Amino acid sequence: MDEIALLQGLVAIPSPSGQEAEAVAWLVEQMGALGFHAHVDEAGNAVGVLGTGPRQVLLLGHIDTVPGGPRPEIRDGRLYGRGAVDAKGPLAAFVTAVAELGPVEGWQFVVVGAVEEEAATSRGARHVARHYRPAFCIVGEPSGWDAITVGYKGRLLLDYECRQPTAHTAGPGRAVAEHAVNYWNAIVAYVERFNRGRQGAFHQLQPSLRHIETRREGNEDVVRATFAFRLPPGLAPTTLKRDLQALNPNGGRLAFRGAEPAFVADRRTPLTRAFLHAIRRVGGRPRFKVKTGTSDMNVVGPAWECPIVAYGPGDSRLDHTPDEHVELDEYRRGIAVLRAALEHLVSARAGRPEPAKATCR
Amino acid sequence: MSTQVATCPECAADVPFEGDVLLHEIVQCPECGVELEVVGLDPIALDLAPEVEEDWGE
Repeated sequence: MDEIALLQGLVAIPSPSGQEAEAVAWLVEQMGALGFHAHVDEAGNAVGVLGTGPRQVLLLGHIDTVPGGPRPEIRDGRLYGRGAVDAKGPLAAFVTAVAELGPVEGWQFVVVGAVEEEAATSRGARHVARHYRPAFCIVGEPSGWDAITVGYKGRLLLDYECRQPTAHTAGPGRAVAEHAVNYWNAIVAYVERFNRGRQGAFHQLQPSLRHIETRREGNEDVVRATFAFRLPPGLAPTTLKRDLQALNPNGGRLAFRGAEPAFVADRRTPLTRAFLHAIRRVGGRPRFKVKTGTSDMNVVGPAWECPIVAYGPGDSRLDHTPDEHVELDEYRRGIAVLRAALEHLVSARAGRPEPAKATCR
Repeated sequence: MSTQVATCPECAADVPFEGDVLLHEIVQCPECGVELEVVGLDPIALDLAPEVEEDWGE
């Protein structure tokens, strides 16, 4: 099976978060056919292992997607379908690049198609974080073939609920919906203060009102809302929780979930060098990116403290859209960069730590 | 230990290196502070390191 058929087959199997089993089984079968020792782990992740180590490179993609998307097809040099960019394209590129490189003495490559990255649980990545301790990690997310992602913002979700006894709307009391609106307005004012003097979306706190509804339940009026926050580096979820609790004036019930701190990787590592080399070798001028979203890098980066980047073909502006597609040329270049980066990384000289510099920081 | 010197492409200052120099390592110009990437070794050649762009997604 070639690299296009691999991605086409993977995209053709729907795998929204929590319903990845069929796609996982299919990918495990394909990895086995390509020479990996492949299995489904306890979390439901697809895992393919090539080589015995002792040094390990873990390539952490995700196999789940958000629902919907265009009909899977190849048209005009593009592969359409949910996951073509986010992130079955990067995952299939991982499998292809490692299979093309083959076993390397002293190294082990582990390709993981993790489950539930698109859910706030990150169940697959959390399992992987507990069971591996790699020397290097590449997270499979679309950076574009000539770019390397080195940071993601953090995240916090807040479910808000406020209840009060029903009352006549002509009476003096305030409608229950107004409590949620007042809370949201207080949040917006807090965020404006926080962001004062901060340049760029990556360094700002970004709130969004995801959902709001009112209902009458028995003798109570109820308002429920969900607020989402994208956290910049330096703002811990615990700090934001504390401040949001202090802003809650009407005793509404607060339930926090999905807390992840922002993570910014070191750019001066053998892994980064390998990608800079590889992108130039394939004909590009490398770029670094930081993303305003989150990824499994937020989970495994702090746990492993090893050199880490996110990389993968595809334009992330197409993530989750009805037009999601990857250019086949972009996909092939991404595979070429990955293979060249891995080759450079496992070469005896390049795999060493960065030398200490007396004169250059 | 030998010292090699390259030129910062931003401010033309000397950028000294001691010991091993690795292709594609990122260093900082001691004069102007800009980040530089080693793009050649014999002799050492420097280019501006990739800037960090903001993007969204995932």
